[in-house]
Amino acid sequence: MTKMELGDYIINVNNICKTFPNGVKALCNFTTNIRRAEVVVVIGPSGSGKSTFLRCLNGLEEIDSGEIIFNGIPLDHHKENRLKIRREMGMVFQSFNLFPHMTVLENVMLAQQLVRKSSKTVAKSVSMELLEKVGIQDKIDSYPGQLSGGQQQRVAIARALAMKPKVMLFDEATSALDPEMIGEVLDVMKTLANEGMTMICVTHELGFAQEVSDWVIFMDEGKIIEGGTAEHFFSDPKEERTKHFLSQIL
Amino acid sequence: MKHEVSPDMKLCSKVPEKNFFVMSKIPIKDIIAYTLVMGGIIFIILRGASEQGYFWQWFQVPKYLFTLEDGTFTLGPLLQGLKVTLNITWIAMILTYTIGLITALLRLSDSIVGRLFARVYLETARNTPLIVQLFFIYFVVAPVLGIDRLFSAIIALSLFEGAYASEIYRSGIVSLPKGQWEASHSLGLSRFDTYRKIILPQAVRRVLPPLTSQTISLIKDSSLVSVIAVYEMTMQANAIVAETFLSFEIYFTIAAIYLVITISLSQVVALLERRFKVNN
Repeated sequence: MTKMELGDYIINVNNICKTFPNGVKALCNFTTNIRRAEVVVVIGPSGSGKSTFLRCLNGLEEIDSGEIIFNGIPLDHHKENRLKIRREMGMVFQSFNLFPHMTVLENVMLAQQLVRKSSKTVAKSVSMELLEKVGIQDKIDSYPGQLSGGQQQRVAIARALAMKPKVMLFDEATSALDPEMIGEVLDVMKTLANEGMTMICVTHELGFAQEVSDWVIFMDEGKIIEGGTAEHFFSDPKEERTKHFLSQIL
Repeated sequence: MKHEVSPDMKLCSKVPEKNFFVMSKIPIKDIIAYTLVMGGIIFIILRGASEQGYFWQWFQVPKYLFTLEDGTFTLGPLLQGLKVTLNITWIAMILTYTIGLITALLRLSDSIVGRLFARVYLETARNTPLIVQLFFIYFVVAPVLGIDRLFSAIIALSLFEGAYASEIYRSGIVSLPKGQWEASHSLGLSRFDTYRKIILPQAVRRVLPPLTSQTISLIKDSSLVSVIAVYEMTMQANAIVAETFLSFEIYFTIAAIYLVITISLSQVVALLERRFKVNN
């Protein structure tokens, strides 16, 4: 499969630190840079700060120090900047977070109508296209509660894609799914990757990482222990902690 | 080894016929016990009432409800009072829900002033008796602002019930999973749109039961405005009893009327709840 050429830097994360109110140091002098069309996979033991890093990127968590720059816009206290960045990043959650009181189609249409101010017909056609892409076209009038986990997650992906984001963040998107359904969601993610979407995935699916990622980051205790290309990372990890972690999973 | 279908499986595949004996598992013992207990209680009450030496004059009551003279139907004082009660109630209901929602949103807002204001209002309205608030608004606030008796009553009622309603709304909003907020945030929705389209539709459905109880309280508390001489149903009843001393008959009658109103309201809400459940 042909991969798109990696572009210029779209996200710069410089030396960010975050400590939670209970004293836990989630991120510590964390620096990384993400390119356009790059697929970055973040792995690590639980509590290592992987999800926190992701959530800092789109503003769900506040950083204590350092800076995050997205496409030239700094993630600071100005509401307009924060809003602009939020709208260009799509996020897919471990617990799907679909809106249970709306149908699948309405879930995907909502943000387009409210945020992008699209008309109903335009929103509908974009939504239908995306729902077909993720394979849920025959369930558009169902409610989330009537769908399986894998279906719900695919709807969640379609909902995030409907905003035409520049970056997609996947926060353990398959961790809450039954094994039979992980495959269908990973397939959608692989398709996205091959189409050139910039993706940052926190995941435990190392097979996916090996197949699709351009860069793998191993985190522990809020720091990047090691980062490398997929080939290097899994075949020849340098750090002890990385080797230890991989030996436990693989 | 060939697997035998176990005998139980064979029975399971046969759908039980819906005959009378299967459907009607009448709890005979429970019905007898209930009849005996209720009968006993009613008997004791009637016995006690007759022992009082009270002369029941139920026949006097209908003329206070309505009169039918020469083909013209006129509402008696009790039903006229009911009109006023219903008037007060529906306006107070709208105000209560509005004040409650605004207060809840203020309590949850980012503004310190908003939160403080909401908190002060809430604690004051919740921790003082309604009758005191009624007097305060009628004797102190109304003359200053030039509000008439009826509106003082409505405002006092709304402020009192609104405080409780706001806590009910807040509990509904806070009970929603954080993920709903996070998903809206990630999609770029404004706070206003998040409340309007995501949070409130779900929260209100959740709190329909306590909100109904609150509304029933409102209907019953409306009887309290009789203390500032608003001629709603209870006040009319008081006036009739003062003239005729038919206390038991009249008060039982208006109790029954209040019961009819509140039960009808409960039924309407139950219908609403069922409609929402179908959607979900």
